Formats: sequence, C-alpha cells, structure tokens
Amino acid sequence: MSAPVVETHALAKTYRQAPVLNDVNLRLLAGRGAFVIGGNGAGKSTFLRLLAGLEAPSAGRALVFGQDTRKLGSRYRRRIGMMGHQSFLYPNLTARENLEFYGALYSIADPVSVATTWLERVGLARFADTRIRAFSRGMEQRLSAARAMLAEPTLLLLDEPFAALDVEGVSTVSALIVSALERGASVLATAHAFSELQGAELEVFELSHGRFTPYPPQEEFRRGGRIRSLLGR
Amino acid sequence: MSAFAAVIRKDLRLELRGGQSTIALLAMSMLVLVVLVFALDAARVRSADTAAGALWVAMVFSGVVGATRALSAERENGAIRGLILSPLDPAVLYAAKLAAAFIFMAVAEAGAVILMVLFFNLEFNASLIRLTPVLMLGALGFSALATLLSAATGHTRAGDMLLPILAVPMFVPALIAGVKASSAALSGAPLASMGDWLRIMVAFDVLFITAGYLLFEHVVGED
Repeated sequence: MSAPVVETHALAKTYRQAPVLNDVNLRLLAGRGAFVIGGNGAGKSTFLRLLAGLEAPSAGRALVFGQDTRKLGSRYRRRIGMMGHQSFLYPNLTARENLEFYGALYSIADPVSVATTWLERVGLARFADTRIRAFSRGMEQRLSAARAMLAEPTLLLLDEPFAALDVEGVSTVSALIVSALERGASVLATAHAFSELQGAELEVFELSHGRFTPYPPQEEFRRGGRIRSLLGR
Repeated sequence: MSAFAAVIRKDLRLELRGGQSTIALLAMSMLVLVVLVFALDAARVRSADTAAGALWVAMVFSGVVGATRALSAERENGAIRGLILSPLDPAVLYAAKLAAAFIFMAVAEAGAVILMVLFFNLEFNASLIRLTPVLMLGALGFSALATLLSAATGHTRAGDMLLPILAVPMFVPALIAGVKASSAALSGAPLASMGDWLRIMVAFDVLFITAGYLLFEHVVGED
C-alpha cells in the first residue's frame, strides 16, 4: 500500500473566532484523485490553502509528503502544483512570458519549449504573445492550469478548476487532470457540486459545517467515476 | 536562467511596460524638490547643505512611494502566492526583489540629482561623482528596508499607510548620515570628511540587508 501524499489530523481553522474547519481527518494516497464539494464558505479553499502551506492551521496538523505543510522545503514545494481562485499570473506579461517565468522558478531545463508545449495543450497557442490583461476569465483559468501543471507535480491542489470555463475548457482541463492521474500524480480538487471526470477514478466527499461527510453514498452514484470513502478515522 | 535572474528580469520587464515605480519615484522627487526650492529662503537655496537635505527628503518620500508599488504587481492576481508556493528560496526572492528595487531607485535618483542641480543652481562637476557612492549606499539601504517592510505590510488593510510609518523612523540614522555625507560631497570637502558618515551608512545597509535576508520568509506569507 502506497504512503499517503496528503494526511490531516484533527485539522481546524478559525477566523476571528468563527470556525471554518473543524476536526478534519483525511488521507489521500499516491496516485489517487479526490473531489471536495461544498457550498460557498464551506471551507474548501481554506482547506487547500492549509495543505499548500499558505496558511497555518488553528489546531491539528496537515502533512504533505509526510512533511508539515508549514515547513515544506523547496524540494517538496516543487512537487506541488496549485490552482487557486486567483490565477497567480502577471497581467502585464504575455502568456508565454508567464509560463517561461514559472518554468525558470521550477528549474525546468528548457522553459521556452515547455511553455510552447503547454500553451498548445491548453489551446492558447494563438494567444502566446498576448498579455494576460487582455484574456477572458476562462482563458486565464486555462493558463492557470498550465502554470500549475508545468513542472509535472506529483500533487495537484485545484481550487474550482472548472470555474469560468466553457465546455471546451472543461474538457481540456479535465483531460489534463486525467493525464496527471495516469502518470501517477495525486489530485485534490474542489467544486461547488460534483463535476464528473470521465475516465478518472475519483473519491468524493462533501465539506459541510467544517467537517467532511461522505458524498454521495457509494451505492447511489456510479456515473463516471468510482466513489470510495476517503474519510479519516 | 537562475530563479534570481528570472525574478529580476520579470520585474524589469513589468517596469518597462508599466513604468509605475520609476515614474512614481521621479514624480515624487520632482514635487518635493519644487516645493522645497520655493519654500526655502532664496539666499540659501544655493548652499550644498540645503540641496543635500532636499535631495534626501525627495529620495525618502519617493522611495516610500516606489516601495509601495514594488510588491503591488505581486499582489495582483495573487502572484505572490505563486512565488511562495514555488521552490524558490525566500531569501533568493528577497535578494531579487531588493535588486530590482535598487535599480528602480538608482534610476530615479539619477533623475532627482539632475533636478536638484537645476533647481538649486548647482554645477555639473566632479562633486556629483563624489555624491554617487553616498546615493548608492542610501538607495541600497532604503531598498533593503522597504522591500522587507512592504512584504510585511502589503497584505494588511492599512499596508500603504503602515509602510512610511515604519520605514521612515527606522531609516532616520542612515538618513542623517546620508545628508551629512552628501553635503560634504557637494561642498567639495575632502573625502576623509565623508568617511565616518559613509561607514555609518554601510553599517545600516548591512543591518537592513541581513534583517531582510533572515526575516523575509516569515513576513511575506499570508498570516
């Protein structure tokens, strides 16, 4: 059995005495994909930020690759790709310049050709030399996906990866996620409601009132993915 | 290309396209110098002391404006999170942001010196060359301090207000040394008379850079 890539123990987060996450326990094994669903303010984004080490938990622990997320060294951060609500892109740089810049940060050997490849994969090759400021929200989301996956991370943290995307964009990003799973990466994504990923083996759970609950019951949901409980004990 | 060079190149590229930091620095420098030229006694405006003081007032005020702008590009679209999440060592990120801020400030200072010479009826002569190390040390120290403080205050609601409140008092010792050394340089005093003031500036530069190197990773995050 492979070691967990993500592990949380009694994880809690409180903002100004308002609890957002409460006693969250989770294990995500290597090469597995999981969807966290929940309404606005359920704590999905907070959960991903805690796992990425962008915020400190109020209580409990979050471990990624067995390391405390607040002390992730560069060799571990290199293995994480994240899509957030914001794109992390520079509006006054072109699509190509943004990817080449992040390629240099991740010490990619040939960031120019890698950027070209990813621009083609997300269908933005025609807009390679267009500044992000001129992009639509959906185009920026596609480029954000390319940025997150540029260095072929072994853990993808995707906060509403299909937000603002058209049908083609959803298909493109879905294919990238499935491709990442197929090469052995672990994927943890959030959404307001379950988004089916054709061909992906998914584990789905719901975040509600700061806690995870199974969603939907396994016997009731068998459309695209196979659902298994991810809940910790 | 190293990550350090990539960050500097990106900052310079953004600055060339937007010009926000350098234009803000130059505009603030010009405003301060114009106000001081008209506010000060006409009989004294030719003195090196007054010109040196006006130059450093302009430099500090414009430096604050420039520092506020310096990390704003990183806040837009949450790009700072992309940097924090990347394998980039926070100390390297600090060094790169410091280097970029120093370049912007040095360019703006060159413009401010030209304005100072014109407004205060000074001459373009060798004394300006003697002024160069003083201004470079001042720009380096202020960039080091402001880069650290703008990272610390940038994600707070009152960040723009907090930066000058914190930066200016902390820079005062280096500011006094800078004014004194600049005055000596402009008045043609021997280099030896600037030595002590330059040593103070070097000491504060080392202090600010070391503090930034050690503390940047702890203040640049979200909480």
